[in-house]
Amino acid sequence: MKALSIAATGMLAQQNNVDVISNNIANANTTGFKSARAAFQDLIYENVSREGALTSDQGTIAPTGIDIGLGVQTSGTVRLNTQGGFVSTENDLDVAIDGQGYFVVNLPDGGRAYTRDGAFQLSAEGQLVTMQGYEVDPGVVVPENTKSIEINEQGVIMAYVESDPNPVELGQLSLATFINDGGLRPMGNNLLEGTAASGDATTANPGDPGFGIVRQGYLENSNVNIIQQITDLISAQRAYEMNSKTIETADQMMSTANQVR
Amino acid sequence: METNSYISLSLAAAARRDLEVTANNIANANTAGFKGERVAFEAYLLENPGGEDTEFVIDAGSYVDTRQGAFVQTGNPLDIALNGDGWLSYRTAEGQIAYGRDGQLSLSPDGVLQTQSGAEVLDSGGGTITLPPGITDLQISPEGTISSEAGELGQIGMFDVPSLQSYERLGAGMFVPPEGARDDAQPTESTEMVQGSIESSNVHPIAEVTRLMEVQKSYERATKLIDNEDKLIRDALRRIGRMG
Repeated sequence: MKALSIAATGMLAQQNNVDVISNNIANANTTGFKSARAAFQDLIYENVSREGALTSDQGTIAPTGIDIGLGVQTSGTVRLNTQGGFVSTENDLDVAIDGQGYFVVNLPDGGRAYTRDGAFQLSAEGQLVTMQGYEVDPGVVVPENTKSIEINEQGVIMAYVESDPNPVELGQLSLATFINDGGLRPMGNNLLEGTAASGDATTANPGDPGFGIVRQGYLENSNVNIIQQITDLISAQRAYEMNSKTIETADQMMSTANQVR
Repeated sequence: METNSYISLSLAAAARRDLEVTANNIANANTAGFKGERVAFEAYLLENPGGEDTEFVIDAGSYVDTRQGAFVQTGNPLDIALNGDGWLSYRTAEGQIAYGRDGQLSLSPDGVLQTQSGAEVLDSGGGTITLPPGITDLQISPEGTISSEAGELGQIGMFDVPSLQSYERLGAGMFVPPEGARDDAQPTESTEMVQGSIESSNVHPIAEVTRLMEVQKSYERATKLIDNEDKLIRDALRRIGRMG
């Protein structure tokens, strides 16, 4: 009975679907998180009888064949890269990207990661770092006795030191964009990593053509649409149940066959 | 005499085929752009000189349910759904030209528009579509024209595929003309492209589950007939034995 294995692929796919949905819901309040969706595709077809097979010596052909599909598979998870909502935090070191691009993070192992999470902190040495303590590119060091920090829309960081009314320019945040954002691999901790599928990063400053601007004092909320997730969850559960119904039917049919004599 | 059992057997075999097709439809109930498959049965007449003719069930073919699936809004600029009878055209990794309705598109690292499984999406002339880097405001018009602030970037082809029913299913939502057959797809203008939505599977859960029940019942009926036939013969043999 092929139906058993076909239904099994269906249940597996729905399981993946629920996994993706539950991760979205779990991250509904994660800064900079982008909602994902499992994409499915039908598996190959077993061509039991060929389309266009000859049906007579006169050259008439069968208009249709018999194609038995072998089930479904998850073809990928699609990240929805739309803008999340802004949450005002009034924190000097919280920045949100309004538009396209990712903050560039220098990993301790020398690699690079990308993030939309702009909840930055200062290290003990005054360096601008992410929540994990990784350096934000380009390395900006805030001098001692800084009273306040200002970051403009172009990502230029300025510090007001002691009683000096003129700010000191510390550096400018850089943003990266990719041809295929969807190809970035999530590493956890709100970080994404470039892959062969995403293409190379194009780095520029906020406000440049094709790049977003940064907003100080705001964080970008996740773009998870909870209602959408819950309805997707319901439909995934029902689809799972339907597949188990197929298994039940196939099982009962086999048992019927066994009972003949 | 024994033909009776074989007629029932042909019904059981047909029911099994139907179950497999239904199982695949259900498994793809959440597959974007999926089109359900249906089995068509036929009577096969066996002429019996000197007696009554008998008819077997044979599965003559399966056909595609081409009805449009419901649209689900995703907000993703690279998700497209087709409103109408048109089809998207893809070039598979093997270089085959295929047709399908799965509009969950993405870009390759070189900016080539492709499906999740890596098949390139073609324009009406059969060429691939490449988008330059750094596009911010991607718009796809109902005619399939892709544009951004930089202007027009290409047009996604939509095709009318008259003999789709005779096409082979490749999987991944794709249909290809069978070997030796002519590709008769023509660009169409009667279909509208909707950006930010995907067309969900056109499988109707209730119809499929009802079909499951129906298949099971006809399978049971077939086995019951075989069983009865067997009892009848045994009964007859017993009586004949007694007579002797």
